Amino acid sequence: MDEPYNPYLIAAYVITAVVLVTYALRLRAARAALQRRAQGRS
Amino acid sequence: MVSAIVMLTTALATGWIVWLSRDPEARVASARAVGAAAWVVIALWLWLVVYYAPIEQVQGIVQKIFYVHIPAIIPMYLGFVLTAVGGIGYLRTRDDRWDQLAIAGAEVGVIFCSLMLVVGPIWAKPVWGHWWVWDLRLTSTLVLWFIYVAYLFLRGLAFGSDAAKTFTSVYGIVGTAAIPFVYFAVDLAQGSTMHPSNPAREGLPPAMGQTVGAGMVAFVLVFAWLVARRMEVAALEAREASALRGAA
Repeated sequence: MDEPYNPYLIAAYVITAVVLVTYALRLRAARAALQRRAQGRS
Repeated sequence: MVSAIVMLTTALATGWIVWLSRDPEARVASARAVGAAAWVVIALWLWLVVYYAPIEQVQGIVQKIFYVHIPAIIPMYLGFVLTAVGGIGYLRTRDDRWDQLAIAGAEVGVIFCSLMLVVGPIWAKPVWGHWWVWDLRLTSTLVLWFIYVAYLFLRGLAFGSDAAKTFTSVYGIVGTAAIPFVYFAVDLAQGSTMHPSNPAREGLPPAMGQTVGAGMVAFVLVFAWLVARRMEVAALEAREASALRGAA
């Protein structure tokens, strides 16, 4: 359990990073799409 | 000292989010500074986790999962409290910007609540021997997650009508009643829960407490940045809906 590359430890940090980065990218994509459509209407 | 920094950061972040919610599209530029600060604190926090925090003698290195599990607490509660703040604001003024604050708080709060519920069992499996036990803290946190996932479903199904905004505002306010129950669940269980008590009362060794504190500051900044971006998207969605209604 004490090896530096403990799979549980790595899984916890990787899942957290993936979830937060994915959500941030999803927000960025949504904002870009909304701004594009707004420009198309104007 | 660490607790004071965490509380100050949380208070400043909350104030900034509420200030931003008054005009998300114009004021979101200030989110860049918050995002930059978040990256700096994340780097510090990860350095503390890897090189500074000692390896706990009983649990071993897997105890370092605490440094990503515990910091998600504040953003989770703060997101749901902001949903109630937005709900109260909307019911009082019928201003859509309060409603946008409510939806942003709920959505980002659910993200952090989900992380708590996923990362906790990853720690529990090697330490308890079980991924999950139906004790009061775990079960009440799961119920809290369901309450706000239901809120998001209601929002998604209601297509932004005024009646739906009123209903979900009330729902978001009532939902916060579950928060104290979750927070004090370990005390309420009176020793019959496997979950450790709240970290503020555990008397962590300084190096561990400082690492948890850095994680809390980092997560609060990430939370504030995500809420700001979500409010901007909500404001753009509202503008689009208004333009489409005008064209129809």
